[in-house]
Amino acid sequence: MATFIAMIKGIISRMLKWITPPPLVLSNGKVVRPAISAMWIIIPIITFLTVWSVSMTRFRLDMLLRRGGQFFVIVSRMIPPNYFYFDNIVNPMLATILMSLVGTIIGVVFALPFAYASSELNQSKIGKFAVRGFFSIARTLPVLVLAVLAMIIFGAGAFAGTVAIAIFTFTIMVKMFFELIDTADMGPFEAILSSGASRIQAFWTAIMPQLWGQYYSLSLYNLEMNIRNAAILGYVGAGGIGIVLAERLAWRVYPDVGLILLVLMITVLVIESISREIRRRLL
Amino acid sequence: MIQFTDVVKRYPNGVEALKGVSLTIEQGEFVAIIGLSGAGKSTLLRAINQMHTITSGSLKVNGVEVSSLKGKSLRRFRRGIGMVFQSFNLIKRTTVIKNVLAARVADMSIIQSLLSFYTKKDKIIALEALDQVGILEKAYIRADQLSGGQQQRVALARTVAQQPSIILADEPVASLDPVTSAQVMNDFLKINEALNITVVANMHHVDLALKYARRVIGIKEGIIVFDGPAKGINRETLKEIYGRDLTEDELMGEK
Repeated sequence: MATFIAMIKGIISRMLKWITPPPLVLSNGKVVRPAISAMWIIIPIITFLTVWSVSMTRFRLDMLLRRGGQFFVIVSRMIPPNYFYFDNIVNPMLATILMSLVGTIIGVVFALPFAYASSELNQSKIGKFAVRGFFSIARTLPVLVLAVLAMIIFGAGAFAGTVAIAIFTFTIMVKMFFELIDTADMGPFEAILSSGASRIQAFWTAIMPQLWGQYYSLSLYNLEMNIRNAAILGYVGAGGIGIVLAERLAWRVYPDVGLILLVLMITVLVIESISREIRRRLL
Repeated sequence: MIQFTDVVKRYPNGVEALKGVSLTIEQGEFVAIIGLSGAGKSTLLRAINQMHTITSGSLKVNGVEVSSLKGKSLRRFRRGIGMVFQSFNLIKRTTVIKNVLAARVADMSIIQSLLSFYTKKDKIIALEALDQVGILEKAYIRADQLSGGQQQRVALARTVAQQPSIILADEPVASLDPVTSAQVMNDFLKINEALNITVVANMHHVDLALKYARRVIGIKEGIIVFDGPAKGINRETLKEIYGRDLTEDELMGEK
């Protein structure tokens, strides 16, 4: 046993010697030993994780090379898109935009008081960590899961999608905004507090004016994200353009699919650029 | 009247900032508190409006024991005491008038303050306060557009709009140049005399303290080592407060 341990020790010390870079000698005779590169640890770990993932997911490179080209075949069938299908997608597309808009507004409004409760301004440590903990758990629910839950309660359709988006926005906005509250300048807060105002009044009067621009900016960012989310919600039946997309794709009517994707892309790009422009002016 | 009796303040980390302070300040006095950084000036000031709670002793303001106040009664008490800070503590991204009006929210209901619903009376009070410090014409300009001296005047106007009987000033001119400092100190003096408001100011600049305050309190390591008229301050007393002789340069400003 003792010889075995000695043998392992010998191997380890030989390996260490092998990966230790040679000492550098300065002209005045001082010797500097460079540190062992962290790459000797990182590279084996990443290699292991990659090999493990490939075997778990049965990822096959040959399959990717052999069948991957089909993607371009499908894309080529979408061109030219069936422009006559446009009338059928106007309403679902509008529903998608309105779902995200209403969901985002509800979410960001309700997030405000809870962001305050999660921030350092909340004097109750227990209360603060209870709220933060609840929202950390709530945030782990993907928007698709929320949509399925909402559909079980409210039935299929755009209403369930709106509820899912509102809850999703609510949970992430609380975190995004309470972190901003904690970076605000506390001086004015102290000043208003010292004039006899309550903490809520001081927050509203002294902290929020510093943050309104960032609040609107975050809200718009959520809106952008939600329009992309809303497009896939239809896949589970929660209303919007996704329903039509899933149906046309299932029937393999590629020219219709082409038009849907084109309209979706243009919509997302237009809303993103409007939002970016507004946010640029806000900050 | 502000009455300290054997006031001790010990912070949770064990530091004793005030070690048994006793003093009385009458209504309408102009008092400067001088001493080294960390001597307890700031703690002394913030004990008065209970932004810091005292550990033991008695602190009465107009006959009320401050440490007995909590919640609503504490907030009502604080309305009568204004506070001005070294870094002005203005809400920079909003207008001057809104900064001054912010002093009025303490008198408003929660719904009124959430909607920022200020009455005409509130606005008149705010504008008059701005007029008193001579920057009425800046009312609708954003606070961050103003110079340091103007910002401190807005902060002073905010405090005046609160209609307090006491103003606590924590190093009000420490971040201003000498000329502006003198102007701001003149504003303090004007308000002290015109409205009979007690002013208690922590001061870095000894010469300004001696020039404007009628009474000077020297504090060293949490103990009051000098308390008397500004005329009574000399080289010896300053040496006692600061631990060594001050040079002419260190006195700063004009003689």
